[in-house]
Amino acid sequence: MNLDGASIQFVGFGLATAVLINLRQLPRWRFTVLFASSVLFVASLGGDFRSFLPLAGFLAFGYLGLLLIRKQIWKALPLSIIALILIYAWLKKYTILPEASFLSFAYLTVGLSYIFFRVLHLLIESGQDEDRPHIGIGAYLLYTLNFTTLVSGPIQRFDEFERETPYLDIGVVATQLERIVVGFFKVNILAMLLHAVQQDALADLAHPLSQAVKLSAAFRLAVVYPFFLYANFSGYIDIVIALARLMRLELPENFDRPFSASSFLDFWNRWHITLSRWLKTYVYNSLLTALMRRVSDPRLHPYLGVLCFFVTFFLVGVWHGRTSEFIVFGILQGSGVAINKLWQVKLAKGVGNKRYRALAHKPLYIAFGRGLTFSWFAFTLFWFWGSWHEIDVAFGSLDLGAWLAVWLVIWLMATVILAAWESLRLKLLGMSVAGGPLFTHRYLRMMYASTLALLAFAITVLLNQAAPDIVYKAF
Amino acid sequence: MNWLSPKGSRRRDLLLMPMIGLLTITVISVTAELLARTRFYESPTNLNACLDDSDPTQGVRGKPNTVCHEKGLESADVEYRLDAKGYRSDTEPGPKQPAVYRIVLIGSSVAMGERVQLKDSIAALLAPRLSALTGRKIEVYNEAMAWGFARNASLRFQDALDVKPDLILWIVTPLDIARSEQTLVRLVDTTPTGSGVELLKNTILHDFRKYGGEIVIGQALRYYLYDFQSADESVRSSLQGKSADDESGFLRVAQGPVWQEHWADFTGHAQEMLARARAAGIPMAVAFAPNRVEAAMISVGSWAKDYDPYGIDSRLHRVVAADGGIFIELLPRFSNVADAQRFYLPIDGHPTTAGYAFLTDALVEQLTAGTIPALGAHAAGGT
Repeated sequence: MNLDGASIQFVGFGLATAVLINLRQLPRWRFTVLFASSVLFVASLGGDFRSFLPLAGFLAFGYLGLLLIRKQIWKALPLSIIALILIYAWLKKYTILPEASFLSFAYLTVGLSYIFFRVLHLLIESGQDEDRPHIGIGAYLLYTLNFTTLVSGPIQRFDEFERETPYLDIGVVATQLERIVVGFFKVNILAMLLHAVQQDALADLAHPLSQAVKLSAAFRLAVVYPFFLYANFSGYIDIVIALARLMRLELPENFDRPFSASSFLDFWNRWHITLSRWLKTYVYNSLLTALMRRVSDPRLHPYLGVLCFFVTFFLVGVWHGRTSEFIVFGILQGSGVAINKLWQVKLAKGVGNKRYRALAHKPLYIAFGRGLTFSWFAFTLFWFWGSWHEIDVAFGSLDLGAWLAVWLVIWLMATVILAAWESLRLKLLGMSVAGGPLFTHRYLRMMYASTLALLAFAITVLLNQAAPDIVYKAF
Repeated sequence: MNWLSPKGSRRRDLLLMPMIGLLTITVISVTAELLARTRFYESPTNLNACLDDSDPTQGVRGKPNTVCHEKGLESADVEYRLDAKGYRSDTEPGPKQPAVYRIVLIGSSVAMGERVQLKDSIAALLAPRLSALTGRKIEVYNEAMAWGFARNASLRFQDALDVKPDLILWIVTPLDIARSEQTLVRLVDTTPTGSGVELLKNTILHDFRKYGGEIVIGQALRYYLYDFQSADESVRSSLQGKSADDESGFLRVAQGPVWQEHWADFTGHAQEMLARARAAGIPMAVAFAPNRVEAAMISVGSWAKDYDPYGIDSRLHRVVAADGGIFIELLPRFSNVADAQRFYLPIDGHPTTAGYAFLTDALVEQLTAGTIPALGAHAAGGT
């Protein structure tokens, strides 16, 4: 069964679990069904018995860390964290570790990154709050292996996971079914088409073609990938959030219209929200607090924020992969956020806080900031999707001047098009009929969802077309 | 946002909402089907009407002096005019003039130029291009024919020898090997196969075809989707779920028993034809033309370790060279183009007009590069 992607089988499996869970209202019943489904799900991902052992060992080590912290063993928290990070890097075969040390057999790593964040979160929270109630092994396993969040997140906090079951009525069910349809369409149709455009552009750059064709290919290559990644990742997240909601489980949102962000800092509040929130909580805040304790001069404090942002988002980038491309990706993410913060600090200092705030609210400033944010993100993604060879092919196909022209055009076009889209969106949402806004009216949404469902069915089932894998599954 | 209806209209919405959904799906489906039928339709007549397969000992042959029209789903209306010998050619070969270099083309549908007009076929394009490059008069007689897989080509081979050519050029495609033993297949109603969702899908499609005619929108969607796909995706979707015994099995490094059998059948016919050509003192060259997925793979330049798009070329080279034939290598040329799959009709798989022109250019390049000494670029003069 193909359950580790946004397949029909996965949606069917999730819906079947939701139906079973809702047969009885008892929390124990929900726990049992979800646990059984998650075990089945994990079992469907691996190979032989041995392939599950590293993951089982990782989970066992995490739980042992929790027990040691609870017993207040000396230095249990820092030692558990360091050991967990090392084991994680070892299991993920980070290239900084000696290759000879890695396990030689094939084993399951799908979802390991997300499990890592959840276990680390439990260790830190348990270490910081001695009065925190002990987490039983069953709850621990369900929290870490919950199949709705296993493959690509979102990274849910344990208190959110434990929160009281939200109410389910026909309206909620219909809304979630609509979200599944939209998500399925995004992953399986939209992402597939955008991926085709990106691959096509890369092929054009790799072949001996005219300068005009290559300029167009470079433009397409840079512009399309952010939208592909958004459709691929947010579509999957739409499906799992909706499935979980049908199981009376509320998952945190992971996206909030990221291409509307007017700055890179704002972008990371809207893109992979749960990852940036996790790192801001456990890296940025901790690091900033520690540094501020050591630096007494308050004039330097804003610059400490800049440094902490760099470190945090460098880690965001590095987390994505184990090769050197992702180190550059991390540096570019960290630099983007740090320069953005530095710009804010300097500008506020230069023109004064009041004038800076006024400027930051001007539509033209926002529009250019939005365009620049998109362009920078698109640029950084070259080190996200490409190997060094592919990056070399892409950048080597045109000279520096041509590439600068391409990025300038992307910035200007993103500025104009995204601003036009924001304005159009507001106008469309403002149009109303008797029952409220026209474009969010339930009848219109039914037509919209039916159209997407029809297209998705025709292409994935009748034409048997498989979409690209969920990109974030690999991390 | 919640879909919850206002209190007064909840009961009405329970009926109305599914109806809106159904109506939307119906309107879109019907409109799309009607639109698709304006472009993607098939003519009631086809090339098979010009073919005679009544005598198994003769294989499939063209009916002399017949004309057929065929419009495939993706292609334009194409005329197939067969000459007095039953081949698609506008000039019948008379006695050979001393200064003329004569090539007879044999093979199946690709060699014949199926799905394009005669003027766009390899045979029609090859003669003037070769003449212009070599500076000598070259005529190409097209004895290739649809369904002319190895067995049928062998059964018609005497026709090729009879016109006393200077060269017999056999254009081989993967289907020529996969269907070495096959003769003309008349379409018959088949029962749906598969299991689970696949069986359900096939049953629905089968019943639709049986009682409601062809669903054109499905093919139109497939066409646009395949046409839109990059070479990389084209390869992925073409090979997805295919076993080693499938018609794409020749691309695998380790070929299954079914393909081993295909190779054995093909090699038998190839050896027989090469031996007859050698006995008649006529050089015989074999060129391999890739299919859509293979061309896409070569264009991308990388593939999964279980596959090797050049493998069939090497194997065919060995078969041909072992019996004194000349092998003409066309595949490397596909690595110089981006998206080589665009040279083929996305669903049908035959080359497009541009595809036939590309194959012809590749052939001309190889034939004049010294592979055939008499056709070397500076080989003007007598035979």
